[in-house]
Amino acid sequence: MTFAERMLHIDRRIIFLVIGVCTLVPLLYPVGLAIKVSPEVRSVHDHIESLPEGSVFLLSLDFDPASKPELYPQAVALLRHAFQKNLRVIGMTLWVTGAGMADQVITQMARDLGKENGKDYVFLGWSPGVGSLIITMGQDLYKAFPSDYYNQPTKELAVLKGVQNLRDVNYVVSLAAGTAGIETWYVFGKDKYKFELGGGCTGVIAPGLYPLLRSGQINGLIGGLRGAAEYEVLIGKKGRAVAGMDAQSATHFAIIVLVILCNVFYLSIRASRGKADPR
Amino acid sequence: MPFEMLLGAWVAAGLTLFIFTFLYKDNPLFKLAEHLYVGISVGYTIVKVYDTVIIRLLYEPMVKQGDWSLLVPLGIGMLMLARYFPKITWLSRIAFAFIVGVGSGLAIPRIISSYILKQVEDTVRPLVSLAAEGGPTFTYNLLDPASNLNALVLLIGVVSVLFYFFFSIEHKGPVRVAAHTGILFLMISFGAAFGYTVMARMSLLIGRLTDLIEFADPQYGRASLWLLLATVATLIVWSVRRGEQKEG
Repeated sequence: MTFAERMLHIDRRIIFLVIGVCTLVPLLYPVGLAIKVSPEVRSVHDHIESLPEGSVFLLSLDFDPASKPELYPQAVALLRHAFQKNLRVIGMTLWVTGAGMADQVITQMARDLGKENGKDYVFLGWSPGVGSLIITMGQDLYKAFPSDYYNQPTKELAVLKGVQNLRDVNYVVSLAAGTAGIETWYVFGKDKYKFELGGGCTGVIAPGLYPLLRSGQINGLIGGLRGAAEYEVLIGKKGRAVAGMDAQSATHFAIIVLVILCNVFYLSIRASRGKADPR
Repeated sequence: MPFEMLLGAWVAAGLTLFIFTFLYKDNPLFKLAEHLYVGISVGYTIVKVYDTVIIRLLYEPMVKQGDWSLLVPLGIGMLMLARYFPKITWLSRIAFAFIVGVGSGLAIPRIISSYILKQVEDTVRPLVSLAAEGGPTFTYNLLDPASNLNALVLLIGVVSVLFYFFFSIEHKGPVRVAAHTGILFLMISFGAAFGYTVMARMSLLIGRLTDLIEFADPQYGRASLWLLLATVATLIVWSVRRGEQKEG
């Protein structure tokens, strides 16, 4: 067996180890590679920045703990920005399994920035229906959510004063790990009730959402951990996403090297077989 | 540090390490973590659905506020359970018919508007722009999504991919050229999707390793380090015993 053949049949656990080391070392010893902000992330940031104080910002945390590493930092950055801008924040989720985590991130960020539940923000929790829930919210928010996550009657909350339905919401951002998520908010929400919509998503579904971005159906898109890092740079508060970018670059570099090596070994085997058997 | 935070850190670190053991090989620690994940997810969903739907959206409005009109959706929903009784299974069709009818009625017009009409509208863009002086111009900036060059690339991409999926005529001559161009566009699209998927998977790994590093801190009782030692020791014992059983 030639060296190239041995390399192509290498124990895959060695590759796992290489990727593990390439991830762990930059996390322990970060070098702080530069992060360039993309226009689609800047659009979300600039729209929130343009909202006057007291505007209504609805953040739909449409993911569960399986997507936490990518979307939780996005939620933290967006909530920090919204609370710093003194926007009225409405939190909710279309994913039943994400309700507890969504409540945790909103409560934590509100506590860190000195915001009061019911006055500065509300977490509506989860309610069934997905598309029909959004339509009901478009008609009457209080029918869709008669009470919030903590069973307080929503009609009595100061944060919702003057908000009757989705038409009264200035900006909606859905942080999505799949369906239901950004597309659902567009199809059943924005297309009908004409509010501005932005999105944040996992890397896996990001390519499928770019057509919505290009056509203007969403005004911006935060894609994966990379997008979260860009948003952290924009608000000037570096967090977990920025800390992970060195590791992300290192693993991508390792994968590119492995792909090139595999191709080199494969082509060298093909070339040597061609010499041995010229037919 | 509160006890629940400490316990949470140890459970999270332990289950993460147990799941990672699958990279070595399938083993009882991985199975334990996998079964816990499935069980807890289902249990959590059942409790949340019961609390939100049965208690908050049905029981409280009916009993506390006297909104008995909710008996109608409750009745339709209950018909679903007729599936479990062979003699009255047919009743469940009423509920399914309601769901399919309402669901289709809500979704079809909205999806046609959002996915087809809006996307077609965006695909059909002018190939030539009007300059400030009024004459026609062609913008070449590939980085600008609104440039004429990108509109042309989009048009070629859409048409050639449609040709690739056009099976009614043989792919020969100009049709073959168009179909092969379509394959190129598809390959680029798959490559971009795969690249994003790799990035996403690496992000998940980074997220777990970040937590493990955090839980290796003395304030968490160095949970990650102790549990790593325990996991490795368990795997060694399991491998040795498995080897002995095979020899026996």
